[in-house]
Amino acid sequence: MARKNNKTKNSRNGSNHKGRRSPQEPASNPAAAQRSYTIPDYRLEKPNFQVKQIRSGDEVRYEVTGDLSAPVPPIRDSKYLDKQQCLEIYRWMLLNRKMEQALENLYKQGKVVGGVYFGLGQEACSCASAYALGPDDWMGPMIRNQGSLLVRGFSARDIMMQYMAKAGSPTKGRDASSHFGDIERRNVVAPISTLGDLIPVLSGVALGARLQGRNIAVMTYIGDGGQSTGVTYEGLNFAAVQKLGLVLVVENNLWAYSTPAEMQFPIKDLAERAIGYGIPGVIVDGTDPCQVYDAAHEACERARRGEGPTLIEAKMMRMKGHAIHDAADYVPKPLFDYWRKRDPISRFENYLLSKKWLTSQDNQKLIADVDRELEADRNAAVASPMPEPESAAGGVYCEEGCHEIKPKYGIPKAGVTKSKPATPKERETAVHLK
Amino acid sequence: MPPLTYLEAIRQGIWEEMERDPAVFCIGEDIGIYGGAFKVTDGFIDHFGPERVIDTPIAESAIVGAALGAAFTGMRPVAEFQFMDFIGCAFNQITNMVAKAHYRWGAPAPLVIRGPSGGNVHGGPFHSQNPEMWFVHAPGLKVVCPASAYDAKGLIKASIRDNNPVIFFEHKYLYRRIKEEVPADDYIVPLGKARTAREGHDLSIITYAAMVHTALEAAEMLAKDGIDIEVIDLRTVSPLDREAIVQTVRKTNKVILLHEDVRTGGIAGEIAAIINEEAFDDLDGPIIRITAQDSPVPFSPPQEEYFLPKVSDVVREARRLKAY
Repeated sequence: MARKNNKTKNSRNGSNHKGRRSPQEPASNPAAAQRSYTIPDYRLEKPNFQVKQIRSGDEVRYEVTGDLSAPVPPIRDSKYLDKQQCLEIYRWMLLNRKMEQALENLYKQGKVVGGVYFGLGQEACSCASAYALGPDDWMGPMIRNQGSLLVRGFSARDIMMQYMAKAGSPTKGRDASSHFGDIERRNVVAPISTLGDLIPVLSGVALGARLQGRNIAVMTYIGDGGQSTGVTYEGLNFAAVQKLGLVLVVENNLWAYSTPAEMQFPIKDLAERAIGYGIPGVIVDGTDPCQVYDAAHEACERARRGEGPTLIEAKMMRMKGHAIHDAADYVPKPLFDYWRKRDPISRFENYLLSKKWLTSQDNQKLIADVDRELEADRNAAVASPMPEPESAAGGVYCEEGCHEIKPKYGIPKAGVTKSKPATPKERETAVHLK
Repeated sequence: MPPLTYLEAIRQGIWEEMERDPAVFCIGEDIGIYGGAFKVTDGFIDHFGPERVIDTPIAESAIVGAALGAAFTGMRPVAEFQFMDFIGCAFNQITNMVAKAHYRWGAPAPLVIRGPSGGNVHGGPFHSQNPEMWFVHAPGLKVVCPASAYDAKGLIKASIRDNNPVIFFEHKYLYRRIKEEVPADDYIVPLGKARTAREGHDLSIITYAAMVHTALEAAEMLAKDGIDIEVIDLRTVSPLDREAIVQTVRKTNKVILLHEDVRTGGIAGEIAAIINEEAFDDLDGPIIRITAQDSPVPFSPPQEEYFLPKVSDVVREARRLKAY
């Protein structure tokens, strides 16, 4: 299995598997050759616990077994991020969290239409991964990646207006939550509610760019639950076969709505799936923004070199229910306690303070600044009008003159033109169906 | 120009669009060196190169998703489905991701999903279906079903140039069976416009795809009895040409709706409702539906013949309606 052989270094071309014969086997003995694969694991701790269904009296509930007493690990120093960049990521994370707190309040005030989906505990993963993207790269968020949308250039106001179904929301009231995008400036693809469907779409974005002569990085996310879908396999396999610059962040937050990861897949680490796709896979602590950034940055660089996709498994926990209606009573309390100590924001804050990249004075100023920005965005979003009923009509089709469609990265390479189409072959056609 | 088959017309249409616009490319299963199961893209890979004629894994959702993503960067992908029966594998991508993109977030999705559909070839339940209505029921998509070689070429070109997702159903029974003179110069047939395949005064048959030929054959037989049939070929089932439907009803006052798709939920029901709403007073008889029965497409030839609408069905129903 993968983890047993983690001394083997990745080969230069990014491939992470090697076939080799065990030295104990004499050449004449036709025993099966042993293969080893490596999955780099950058975490500074290796949590070891498991969630199981158990019967307890009249009820069946989840119980966690294993060691939950490990001390909180330090933040791993980034190989790439400087002080300024760390501070920027920290600010995005703060904005991400505080915006969701504001949304929770708006919900309680009855101003939100529908539910609210939180990324609590996952801010480092959303913000630091999206931070690795360049302006020409693309991103497709899942429901909890509101931080990724902020980093990509949408405002807290945009997201709040989506949740309040306002006329001025990015979808003009037509869709909710993180379901919006922008193919012109921010290069963001809007998700749909079903899981895994962005994976082939983002792969296609990379394909389109490559046809126009550019290798770009395209990032999207999938959860421990969503990775069970067939389209996840189809999309990632397609990207792998075509060597498209997909960066798939598998956010293993341990819970798919109310179903624990243990009931989604039997392997310990989802990064091992990468072996089956023939692509590199890495494991990071999803609550450590430096680890997330470094892995995302390396995957994006690989994508921009045209070397194909990377699977990054980020381990963390969803610290609220599936959505605001869900109290997550099914989650064993000790798991919340364990992960609360690994809160990405307080850990990163302490890291920055201890490195003296941030003084507590500057921290207070930064927090006040984020609060001020959010307050202004919140007020503007609340005050903005609901859409006119008639605005539900129209826009189903792209009518004449509504969009100019042209290649974004340059004129695609045209084919050679040497012949007119010959009459197609009769042979080998599915003649039995003629 | 020698006459072109329906298949050659489609192939020339795609070829010419690829030559005209470097943003057009083909993606699908076995479309490259092999040239496609029906050879629609035969020779394309030699001419345009493997970059623009992309063989994929057997993964219909990935094909549609990748086509959509490429379209977001300004490309115009033409995705082949080996059989339109397999389109169910990509249903979620098409109806939720592709169809809703423009309405939800203003992202145009100029892609074409094309492939062979239809029966009468003894292909059985999974190589003979007419799944067009699944997509007519998904606002945001256009659904095209050509009946002639001229239309097939003009419509595929219009579909590729359209800024919306188009599902292009090629009737495989027609692929090599029908031939006609097709102009060598560049032309398109606009989406959403029906054509009058045969002028007549006594009653109208509104139909599309292979059934246009069934209707025309029946019309020739009925002409001998002095019954003058008008045949309307819809060409596009979404958007429907409501004006052409209403006009022919106003002209002949009697209408038969004919399709190879199964009866319940077929486009005939929708057209009957349109006539009811817009031309009720013009009717001099009941609206008659002639369709396949509500079942999967059976495999054995006698069973398939029983399943499909036939010329004799049309002749019988036309006589009955004429007598009203």
